[in-house]
Amino acid sequence: MTIDISLTKRQLETREMIRAFAKNVVRPLALGWDREGGIPDDFLRNLAMMATSIGSNAMSTGLGEDAPKDPSKKKSGGGNLFNALVAEELSWGDGALPLCLPGPGLGGPPVRATGTPEQKERFFGVFKDMAAGGPLRWGAYGLTEPAAGSDVAGIRASCRKDGEHWVLNGRKCYITNGAKASWTVIFATIDPALGRAGHRAFVVEKGTPGFSVGRLEEKMGLRASETAELVLEDCRVPAANLLGGEEAYVSKEGFMTAMKTFDNTRPLVGAMALGIGGAAYDHACDFVKDHYVLSRPIPRYAALAERLAKVGRQLEAARLLCWRAAWMADAGVPNAKEASMAKAAAGQAAIRSCIEAIEICGAEGSIAGDNALLEKWFRDIKVYDIFEGTGQIQRIVISKRLLTDLKSF
Amino acid sequence: MITFEPSDDQKLMIESVAQFARTVLRPRLRETERQRSLPEDVRRTAHELGLGVVALPEIVSGAGLGLVTAALLEEEVAWGDPAAAFAFGGPGAFGLAVTELATAEEAAALLAPFSAEGGHDRFAAVAWGEAKPVADRAGLATMARPDEAGAEKGYRLTGEKAFIVNADRAEAFLVFAQVEADKGLRGLGAFVVPKTARGLTVLPRATTLGLDAASFGAIRLEDVVVPASARLGTHLDEGAFSGAVVRFFARSALLVAARAVGLSRAAFEVTREYVDGRKAFGKPIGHFQAVAFTIADRAMDVDGARALVWKAASSWDAFDRARWNLPALGDPAKSAPPPKERECLLATARAVATAHEAAMRCGDDGVQLHGGAGFMRDYPVEKLMRDAKQLALCSLTAEHADQLAAACALGLPVDPALVLPTAESQNAFV
Repeated sequence: MTIDISLTKRQLETREMIRAFAKNVVRPLALGWDREGGIPDDFLRNLAMMATSIGSNAMSTGLGEDAPKDPSKKKSGGGNLFNALVAEELSWGDGALPLCLPGPGLGGPPVRATGTPEQKERFFGVFKDMAAGGPLRWGAYGLTEPAAGSDVAGIRASCRKDGEHWVLNGRKCYITNGAKASWTVIFATIDPALGRAGHRAFVVEKGTPGFSVGRLEEKMGLRASETAELVLEDCRVPAANLLGGEEAYVSKEGFMTAMKTFDNTRPLVGAMALGIGGAAYDHACDFVKDHYVLSRPIPRYAALAERLAKVGRQLEAARLLCWRAAWMADAGVPNAKEASMAKAAAGQAAIRSCIEAIEICGAEGSIAGDNALLEKWFRDIKVYDIFEGTGQIQRIVISKRLLTDLKSF
Repeated sequence: MITFEPSDDQKLMIESVAQFARTVLRPRLRETERQRSLPEDVRRTAHELGLGVVALPEIVSGAGLGLVTAALLEEEVAWGDPAAAFAFGGPGAFGLAVTELATAEEAAALLAPFSAEGGHDRFAAVAWGEAKPVADRAGLATMARPDEAGAEKGYRLTGEKAFIVNADRAEAFLVFAQVEADKGLRGLGAFVVPKTARGLTVLPRATTLGLDAASFGAIRLEDVVVPASARLGTHLDEGAFSGAVVRFFARSALLVAARAVGLSRAAFEVTREYVDGRKAFGKPIGHFQAVAFTIADRAMDVDGARALVWKAASSWDAFDRARWNLPALGDPAKSAPPPKERECLLATARAVATAHEAAMRCGDDGVQLHGGAGFMRDYPVEKLMRDAKQLALCSLTAEHADQLAAACALGLPVDPALVLPTAESQNAFV
């Protein structure tokens, strides 16, 4: 082998197929979903079947494993890289779509990484019926609280053991698919004074007494994606739902569970951001082609070209950083720094792209007809530099791995 | 198939060149800067490592290792000293130009001496740039007039070429000159002119901002007579010739971009070490967020630029394997079709613009985070900052690269007037 940055035939064909689907099927529906605040189940079901048929687990039932740790057993194509390609194209169609897909979602990685065999069987089993046409199901991930976002170690949701149960109290917010999830991985602490060592992760199932949905958020963008508050009031969770069992928490593992999730999801989220950023860039290129007479001198044009070129290369650089992080995950190589670089670069480049595109297209670009998606992308993209770790948190992760003895700021 | 890891062979080559950079180039950085050249023993070692001809294909007497490998090694060399790759013996950009413009036989004959014994002492140069634009027409001011008895008898060259890398060291120049005055950059010819040609004067070497061990200069041509055989590319039609010129510029610029990545990494590393050790207010300055985040940002710059360089190089290697019928990389049934030239140009343009921006930011922030020490020549970082700007002006600039990228992305015709560094390219889209 040598360094090679080209996609295989299969990867290219898959990408083209999803691009066509995104363009012809997803795009015409995207504004409607945004207005209605959701994507119909029927649509998601059809999409999930299509995805399964092409071998992507971007919207998996969770039964498909992440990349094996042994690179020699690597699946052809590589799961993380393949998923990043798929996610970018879906997101190019509509940013909310990949977030709405049924399956364990962000709840999957911690269960897969830390769950006991019994827990994996039980919680991923929830999704088994979907492939056979059963009802759609989701998993979710509940870490953020009203008073602890980036500062994960500062969560206050409490848990205490009471016989064969744990009793949970607290509030979780900004939980993607939180209201419809069959279960949510909830992080709580036995004692805030213990910091990370006090953290415990539970799989809390829908319908558990004391577990309820608070408000559904009204957001700037990604309005078709559900974002919920979850409330725990003396919620009694069976001891069997403590993720990984008691022995998993002898050391600082509790916190590590929360963080492990991100090494695989950050490049994926970065790829989604690039889908939206790429959509805006493509639109701006088309707009320029359609609205300017290229065979005659137009004074503004060289400056415009430079802006487009700059957006194009920032997106491409970020895309390669996402591919690299995903490729590392597929090879079982630790990639925390690279995953954060991918996410930080992608969020930034994609936001820039959406801003530039709306400026290049001008007033017309932000309103009428074919251009109506531009204002949606502009709204959708901002959160990609916020969720899954803000740009600032990514820089903390990166710099801690570059500088000596940097524990915290 | 996506692979971000060098092959075992590549790793060995990287390691031997990295060692050369670490033990020879870097420790002598200031010495070679003062001497404004590389001493013979350094050039000899570089020649033994084959560094002058890595990027050239075997059919023209090159090493045939491809642009990915060349980019990897250029990065290591530039990490040691960004000026070094310009100051090693070898054909330099002349080699890349001849590969694109000449027939394989012509190219092999012209380039063979550089791989042979003594190649460390032989230089060649491309004479493209001109100090003054033409006022009344498009194209280059330097003229190549066919001999009065007809072009088959030869040409007479007159004009002044500037911004030539190694002008004072080269034994031969590839001079670009206007053959048909009314055709702008589509009316050019490329002529191999030996240094000894009557009427050719090498002008005094320029004093530059950075890259002092390299050499930038100019030549004057006064009615220089060359035979018809000195003109390269006569087997190409006008469009193909223009395409070959753009291809040469792009590939040459890509290797310069790989040097910019090496420079970026060097500036980044010395700065990271400095902020690790320098204490203020009771802790290493790297433990302040304003500093740490800058370090993180520059790390992203380096990695992003490198990835773009790799992608462009990997595209050209696939393009070359197809056009020169070289063995495929993997199973052809599973591989994507080779990229089109336009895709290679787009990838290259993106890499070039990004790498030069990255180098400038790494140099600038590097000096900044060193504080007053950064301004002093005790530390290498001020040199790296000067070198970064000089490097960005050695080939396609970021501005030209962005114009090229936009043309590729928007489906506009790519012609030399659009992308090449001339006065005309200010109106690239006219």
